[in-house]
Amino acid sequence: MSMDREQKEGAEVLLMGNESIARGALEAGVRVAAGYPGTPSSEIIETLSRFSEAGKLYVEWSTNEKVAMEVAAAASFAGLRSLCVMKQNGVNVASDFLLHLTGSGTRGGMILVSCDDPGALSSVNEGESRHFARLMEIPLLEPADFWEAKEMTRWAFDLSEAIRNVVMVRSVTRMSHASGNVVLGPLPAVTAKAQFLCDGPVSDPDRGPVTSAPVIQKHRLQQEKLRKAAALFEDSPFNTYEGPETPELLIITSSACTLYSREAISLLRAEGRAGILKLGTTWPLPPALLKRHLRRTEKVLIVEEVLPFLEDQVKILAAEQAREIGIKTFYGKNDGTLPMVGELNPDLVAAAVGQILGIDPPAIPAEYREKLRALTAALPKREQTFCPGCPHRASFWGIREALQRDHRGGFVCGDIGCYAMASLFPAAGFHTAKTLHAMGSGTGIASGFGKLGPFGMEQPVLAVCGDSTFYHAAIPALINAVHQNADITFIALDNSGTAMTGFQSHPGLDVNAMGEASPKVDIAALCGAMGVPVTIGDPFDLIGTRVTLNRLLEEPGVKVLILKQSCALSPEKKVKKRFLVRVDEALCRGEACGCNRLCTRIFRCPGLLWNRERKKAEIDEVICAGCGFCAGICPAGAIRSEEAAK
Amino acid sequence: MRDWESDPAEQESGKGGQKELDEQVLGAGLCTGCGACVGLCPYQTVYHDRTVVLHACDLAQGRCYAACPRTPTDLAALRSRLYNETVCTPELGAVKGFFITRATDEGVRRRAQHGGTVTALMALALREGLIDTAILAGEGEGILPRSITVRDPEAAGMQGSSRFVVSPTVAEFNRVCLGNAAKIGVVATPCQALALAKMRTQPVSAAENGIEKLHLVVGLFCGWALSWQKLAALLKKKTDLARVTGMDIPPSCYHTLEVYTTGETIRISLDEVDPCVRESCRTCGDMTAEFSDLSVGSARLPEGWETARSWNQVIVRTERGMDLLELARRLGVLEFRATPPGNLEKLKAASLGKKRTAAIWLAGRGNTAERTGQAG
Repeated sequence: MSMDREQKEGAEVLLMGNESIARGALEAGVRVAAGYPGTPSSEIIETLSRFSEAGKLYVEWSTNEKVAMEVAAAASFAGLRSLCVMKQNGVNVASDFLLHLTGSGTRGGMILVSCDDPGALSSVNEGESRHFARLMEIPLLEPADFWEAKEMTRWAFDLSEAIRNVVMVRSVTRMSHASGNVVLGPLPAVTAKAQFLCDGPVSDPDRGPVTSAPVIQKHRLQQEKLRKAAALFEDSPFNTYEGPETPELLIITSSACTLYSREAISLLRAEGRAGILKLGTTWPLPPALLKRHLRRTEKVLIVEEVLPFLEDQVKILAAEQAREIGIKTFYGKNDGTLPMVGELNPDLVAAAVGQILGIDPPAIPAEYREKLRALTAALPKREQTFCPGCPHRASFWGIREALQRDHRGGFVCGDIGCYAMASLFPAAGFHTAKTLHAMGSGTGIASGFGKLGPFGMEQPVLAVCGDSTFYHAAIPALINAVHQNADITFIALDNSGTAMTGFQSHPGLDVNAMGEASPKVDIAALCGAMGVPVTIGDPFDLIGTRVTLNRLLEEPGVKVLILKQSCALSPEKKVKKRFLVRVDEALCRGEACGCNRLCTRIFRCPGLLWNRERKKAEIDEVICAGCGFCAGICPAGAIRSEEAAK
Repeated sequence: MRDWESDPAEQESGKGGQKELDEQVLGAGLCTGCGACVGLCPYQTVYHDRTVVLHACDLAQGRCYAACPRTPTDLAALRSRLYNETVCTPELGAVKGFFITRATDEGVRRRAQHGGTVTALMALALREGLIDTAILAGEGEGILPRSITVRDPEAAGMQGSSRFVVSPTVAEFNRVCLGNAAKIGVVATPCQALALAKMRTQPVSAAENGIEKLHLVVGLFCGWALSWQKLAALLKKKTDLARVTGMDIPPSCYHTLEVYTTGETIRISLDEVDPCVRESCRTCGDMTAEFSDLSVGSARLPEGWETARSWNQVIVRTERGMDLLELARRLGVLEFRATPPGNLEKLKAASLGKKRTAAIWLAGRGNTAERTGQAG
């Protein structure tokens, strides 16, 4: 299921929310799209890249979200429609530029799409990007179904051009990654020539230089734009009401929570008592629309993810209009009716509505409960760990070996990528990685730790960082460590791709998002230019990695080790195994003292199995990636690897 | 004096695995670096002169704990199983004979620490086929020694001088056992000899550990060993480590560590060296490697240190040790001289002194003393 160029206008196709957003941008005539990969946002740029064409649509994976937004802004300044895409915490990265961009305003329609991850299904935070819309004083739109995702994105470009500022579209995992039917609209013929008109006076929004200064005047103008947006929102078809004329309970909701609210009301058979005001334009709220609906009820439940953003805004409007609409009872996050953390779901909403209306949610039928129990019991228990053949497992094995030998309590500052699992699941990283924050922060934190020697800290400090993360945010931190002469060992885990999010290109590769040949920026050369020693190693060379690391740990200052080995899922590795691996049962010691199943108990590559009957290790030939690394860890030499035939 | 051998009741509860080993020995700073717990499994290794845990093993009982010279040991039982009790002394363990010897070959003496007796005996044992493999301490990188395995008698003669830093000899024994060696001889410090003795008497699992291949243990007298890390730091202040060729400690009246370099001899006061002594050695009451076939140390002679430094004193403990020494006498490999009167008594007094100091040190460690019965 993916949208392709052959599908014609009028066709009804099954689209993922992210594809629908991409389609909306295409139908709006987007010319430039830039983003940084991050779940749940990545498919938008990936989809657009399939439609890229010289002179018609330029698509890039930028170094980071701030750069992506700057690239998109440039297109807007040159009169083209543009889009920048990121996950929720990407907006944090871009926010410094965003603050200034919203002050300067835009020309060609420009959309910021942020895909949030309530419940942190694929994140190490539950950040809420909606607050940025208010903070940056720009309009916010939230689609509540797949068709709307397309239509709203398309309309967002018109809105952006109407108010000459960025418009933010916010999705969530359940919107971005679920699918629904969408009717395709026409793709416009776009012809506008890119030209940055900048010879006019500063006050000329069409021909002057683009800056956020003079600040006070521009800020005032920005707020006028916002009022204009609010006025347009009053009649927006994206705000709908379904339910009785005067509901006992008014549910105000947006995004995926609209679906949960509908299901909850249906579950409770409360259609006659509760109504749903579904808002697509969630900032700034249209006051007249809200007044109209608040007037007709006494009780208001606000259903949203994650923080009470909508709830706070509705309460402010209700307070301002109290004389006309009367005093309401509010339910939501602040009073604990709904949880303030994690995702919502129909059951949670039904429980909340049931509590307010005094309806017991229907019990789950015993037969259904039994079926569910049987099904979940049959699921294989799988721990979250690195893939078979993953070079990260080998890297952390080498790091563990070196740190234990070093014996000074050294630790790894983790970072964002698949290798974050080393911090999240200690066994996966052999208990080496001890911090995990934002992209590039491992190196920054290490830089700080690396200056604590004079305060008595004797522990060696390591930072790990993937190749994509290196370009994204680790470079300034590494430069800081070098300049401050911090004592750290920086390890680039270079697996030649933005592996975690699906092999998007990055500056270290010789291809870009559109599949064109691109110059690559070499990590080793870059680090070398910082004037620090750089060693390049292969994580599958266990002894080499360990010996190198033990040497580096003894040396002061910044040392760089690049552990280079392609991801086990990379296209070139998926094709064939490098080694054929097998277990020689005669040599396998089994449970006797003492390897005690080092391979399957400690190393835990999913490609290694423990046969409980035979009490011997074996290879799962279906999933073994053939990296051959495990042959080096078996103390009995029972795991044999042979170079596979070419 | 306190009887500081562990009582039998403690023995039974003293079984353990890596967890207990880590708690009672490694983590408690009592590891001798002998290497007994290394090479049996993938969970411990030796780095420099330190035993480190690589991963948690999780077995309740292990050979690592059983063989460790710093886990509780019924030394009396061990002694009665391995030695003729009629020759056992409280100060020095079994003493079948006491001799002053040196290698007849001047070349061997020159390369050796003192009289070259150990080198000459190991070369002889190899040459005569009493053993087919010898494990010795040889030169490693810088001041770090390295355990080496030789099968050629000539090669045995090339090793000799001490660096006062331990090498993981028993780990090397564990490694060599996996190969095709049939009769292994080991030059061992007291802790290493104790580990080997424990391996001979305390099998914990059916897994073959090759201890039956052990045919000869030549013990070394030992006052203490130094921590590599601390010694390296000390020497770095005095000289370039790469220039160090050897070290020695003359009799106690000099109170000096002599460091021989490619240039001058550096003399360091023992007060300065003392902080470098391994914690574990302070708790050790075995000065003469009581669990060996014969033990060799530097001699003390009435003529003074300059003469004495080219001789050894030897305690023979077993039949096998006596046979080897007599063979060496018969073939002229060793020279003998009369034992000065009172020498054995002085050695007993010194050994008793070490046992006393160790007992006090152990008592000062509180509970740890209860858990770590030590060579008596």
